[in-house]
Amino acid sequence: MEQAVFNLSQIEVFQPASLKEALKILNDNRDAEIIANATDLWPRIMNGEVKPKKLVDISGLRSELSYVKREKGVIRIGALTTISELSEHQFVSEKRYRAFNDAIKLFGSPQIRNRATVGGNICAASSSEDLIPVFLAYDAKVKLASVDGERIVSLDKFVVGKRELSKRHNEMMTEVFFEEPDDGYSSVFYKIGRRNTLIINLVNLAVVGKVQDKRVVDIRIAANRVKGKIPERARKTEEFLKGRTLDEETIADAQRVFGEELSLSDDFRASAEYRKQVLKVLLKRGLNVLGV
Amino acid sequence: MKSLLIKMNVNGVDREVLVDPDDRLLDVLRDELNLKSVKEGCGTGDCGICTVLMDGKPVLSCIIPAFQANNHKIVTLEGLNSDPTMQKIQQSFRKYQAAQCGFCTPAMEVVGWHLLNTEKKVDKNRIKEAISGVLCRCTGYYDIVDAVYEVAQQ
Repeated sequence: MEQAVFNLSQIEVFQPASLKEALKILNDNRDAEIIANATDLWPRIMNGEVKPKKLVDISGLRSELSYVKREKGVIRIGALTTISELSEHQFVSEKRYRAFNDAIKLFGSPQIRNRATVGGNICAASSSEDLIPVFLAYDAKVKLASVDGERIVSLDKFVVGKRELSKRHNEMMTEVFFEEPDDGYSSVFYKIGRRNTLIINLVNLAVVGKVQDKRVVDIRIAANRVKGKIPERARKTEEFLKGRTLDEETIADAQRVFGEELSLSDDFRASAEYRKQVLKVLLKRGLNVLGV
Repeated sequence: MKSLLIKMNVNGVDREVLVDPDDRLLDVLRDELNLKSVKEGCGTGDCGICTVLMDGKPVLSCIIPAFQANNHKIVTLEGLNSDPTMQKIQQSFRKYQAAQCGFCTPAMEVVGWHLLNTEKKVDKNRIKEAISGVLCRCTGYYDIVDAVYEVAQQ
């Protein structure tokens, strides 16, 4: 008989009533894990992949951490904002934010969107999180709070590995924010999987950019995998495209540069070669959307 | 010893239940409150069979820790049985034979009811989207879409 090495019912659960209280608990308990609305973490606890001794349940902090604010040219999204709530905000319907709209429509299922949070998706920190490439393509930053105060970290310095965040044990991500691109920008997000609902992506790609008179003024490209297994910007491809005239030849060259920049690995979902091929096709589609 | 006391309003009735940290909302609804319309399918948030309404929105009770239902309002199919729209949906399910084994039926009816109660104009594509998070392995979905659509047109 297998020895029960870990008893789930022994988990100590903290349910703070305020952010301040939550940060105090985190500070006093090095071994505590933050749990938001649990759509990612709970199944991983139930199957034994994650074995927390203590949980700090922040789902009750919605009055402080669920919001979408648009002020002074910055969009600020509270960590506990659900995907459904994000979808209801007016900004996602604008052309320059189409990537958000595309990602939201393909996010989990309606039930998952009602629970999953923006902060949770970012902090889950894996290549299957669709919002990370989208936020990366908008040059987003995250706000980390602790008993010592707040600090700002750019998203690409925050998500540093598969299930790996660069933060101190007593810090909590409370907000993601980015400067609004002007309304001459366009954006698009693609996700390829095996069905249309509850897809775990094989690849995804977010493209945000500004093309004027066929010339690429600015472009940001992010995918769930560029090198290895974490979401990242494709900076070499971006540099290649900046300032060039967006014609068929440039697009073909950009696909080649992108293919060389990608350093992917095989896994049980798809081969590296397949992923590379699909990403190159998606880049072409994205550039065509921007060029229109 | 169950260690956490949670308070929730279930189908209009205030409840206090003692739960373990690893109890799921699904377990509490079925085992403590005897609400058997809520079923467990995959247990990992993929199939949608455990769908209930939390604060008016469809959610998956198999991946919600029971302690997170504290201070929330839960509605299951049992709480909607006397609702006129739900009665129409159930009659329509019978008419279109939209249930075969019946295992997904409570979840289908709850998401269908939620759609018809929150949106005025509902076409078949919108119904497909609304039920997309619930798997049915028998009907092929068309009968379910037709059943909800007929009520949407009334």
